[in-house]
Amino acid sequence: MGEIATFGHLFLESLSYWWVIIPSVLLGMVVGALPGFSAANTIIVLLPLTLAMPVEVGLIFMIAIYCSSHMGAGIPAILVNIPGTAGAAATPLDGYPMAKQGRGQQALAISFIASCLGGLLTTVMALFAMPLLGQVGYYMHSVELIVVMLFGISLIATIAAGDTLKGLIAGFLGLMIGAIGSDYVYATPRATFGFLELYDGVPVIPVLVGLFAVSEAFLIMDQTSIVSEENQATIRHGTWAATFEGMHIALTRWWHIVWTSIIGLVVGVIPGAGASIACFVAYQQSRSFSKTPELYTTGHPEGLIAPEAANNGVTSGTLVPLLTLGIPGGETAAIMLIVLQYHGVNFGPTLFQLHPEIGYGVFTAMTVTYLMMLATALPIARYMSHVTMVPIAYLAPLIVSFTLLGAFVPRQYMFDMGLAVIFGVIGYLARKTGYHVAAILIGVILGPLLEQYFLRALKESNGDIMVLFSSTLGNVLWVALIISLLMPTLLAKWRADTAGVALAGK
Amino acid sequence: MADHTPSRDGEPQPIGAQLIIPIAAIIFTLYYFWTIVDAPWTAQVSAFFVGCILLILCAIFLVRQALAVRHGRANLGIGDLVTHADVRSGRLAIFVLTVLYIVVIQWTGFAITTFVFLFLSIAILTRGHRLGLVGLVSFCMVIAGYLLFIVAFDVRIPHGPFEVLMQKVF
Repeated sequence: MGEIATFGHLFLESLSYWWVIIPSVLLGMVVGALPGFSAANTIIVLLPLTLAMPVEVGLIFMIAIYCSSHMGAGIPAILVNIPGTAGAAATPLDGYPMAKQGRGQQALAISFIASCLGGLLTTVMALFAMPLLGQVGYYMHSVELIVVMLFGISLIATIAAGDTLKGLIAGFLGLMIGAIGSDYVYATPRATFGFLELYDGVPVIPVLVGLFAVSEAFLIMDQTSIVSEENQATIRHGTWAATFEGMHIALTRWWHIVWTSIIGLVVGVIPGAGASIACFVAYQQSRSFSKTPELYTTGHPEGLIAPEAANNGVTSGTLVPLLTLGIPGGETAAIMLIVLQYHGVNFGPTLFQLHPEIGYGVFTAMTVTYLMMLATALPIARYMSHVTMVPIAYLAPLIVSFTLLGAFVPRQYMFDMGLAVIFGVIGYLARKTGYHVAAILIGVILGPLLEQYFLRALKESNGDIMVLFSSTLGNVLWVALIISLLMPTLLAKWRADTAGVALAGK
Repeated sequence: MADHTPSRDGEPQPIGAQLIIPIAAIIFTLYYFWTIVDAPWTAQVSAFFVGCILLILCAIFLVRQALAVRHGRANLGIGDLVTHADVRSGRLAIFVLTVLYIVVIQWTGFAITTFVFLFLSIAILTRGHRLGLVGLVSFCMVIAGYLLFIVAFDVRIPHGPFEVLMQKVF
């Protein structure tokens, strides 16, 4: 009872900071939507301001930007097939077809509801289940994390590509590209083509910009607009009805939001996994349990709800190891750690004893942020959807020039703009020939992580490769990985057989 | 699964373009192996693990495609990967402009280079219609970008004469 009263008090206190949350939500949505402008970058840029603020204001400011940037990344993914961050890489699978059908406004409303409710629910769950969730990190050792990463690649291969073999080739090519750069022990340069700029590895933002934005801009250049003339009329004469319809579609699938956001929460707690894996795991699970799996990738609302609910479920998940163990689960969490340490607040098991208002306050601030995100984003969905009517002749060059600048921003190397163009060519070739670019991107992100865990596992076992099959949890995950690879083929065969029997029966 | 069913008129499907990524992957993996052949085992082990899986996957894919060609279900044509439409639509010209954009921007700065790039690209895609509007849109976009990148987010984008002038004025 006492805890509930504390949460209630903290909730009301967070609510009183609406004047910080609303501008931060709008800023977060903008930076989430722009490739290269992640929440972490923005908080770093605004660090002098954050450090000067009182601790609770600074924390609320960072949380609001962090949560809303996850939702903002889905906006360009739906409207122009360009995810703002890798966490929204699964959103265009069904979001973009909806936008092309003239249902962009509806798709945005579905995405906003799924994101906010998913984020809200997992925040409340994390608040109560924190001691339990904090233990997940203890069970995930190097071996288990290697399998989780290979599992992520295999899921994307089976989901994103029509042909699993092509998906796996794309994913493993991404892993190889991600392993470019100096090795972790002796700093031996590997496959750098002689470029010093690649010694630190391949930067993710130019890869994202190239594979998604540049390639998409070049692909759509022979069209006049994203949506057909007929669908443009629907958008032009659109009313609030499409927003309400989207809200209704999402709310009637509330159970779908619940379980896919829980997937996000659990994946978020696992160090290193993050939103980019969570969105694909949720999408794959959603399709596997759907009664209409054939509708996925054609503009099916459930295919949009799953990744959006999951990537917002990740937000509270990544904060759990930070709060309970003092280990940041991601970039933004690491910056929060630095800011709060500057103010004399230390994360870890003692946080909830010494500063309960900060420990629990993080989650109540997230709850208030998600509520305010809903109120802020839904009214503008109608106007955002008009982006799909902008003539391609104007839109494509804008995408190319502004996203190339986004590639330049994180490291400020001219080289990164060139890298984005090279990945644009790779993305163009991949899209034209049926290799899904999301698989390459996730491979590039996971490549360095996989190598770190692989080396650690081998070091702990004195170089015995069988260590990969030495843990029970790891072996369970290996079986799940094999099942995930075989399941699409087996399911397709089973459906074909069932259909054949039904026809024979008639 | 792979779709190698011949088209409705019985013609084999062109699959040459689909071979570009696996062949590039094989070349890249072999290059990677070459760069680590004398490196310590810590630099080799993960790359050999991932690279060998990639080579096996590519080999399976190439064998599958070769069988499809042998059985007459496919041929080595590149389909619609590169066509005259790429020249007609302006795609090729804009690709050349994009390469020039990233080469020149370090000297001429964000504002001037982006304006010229946007103006020329949009003019190519609109076939030179309403150049006044194209110029106005390009100008407005550059100003919006300048306000967003430099004024709002204080991003250090490439500076040129325009940015230097603005710094002196404000």
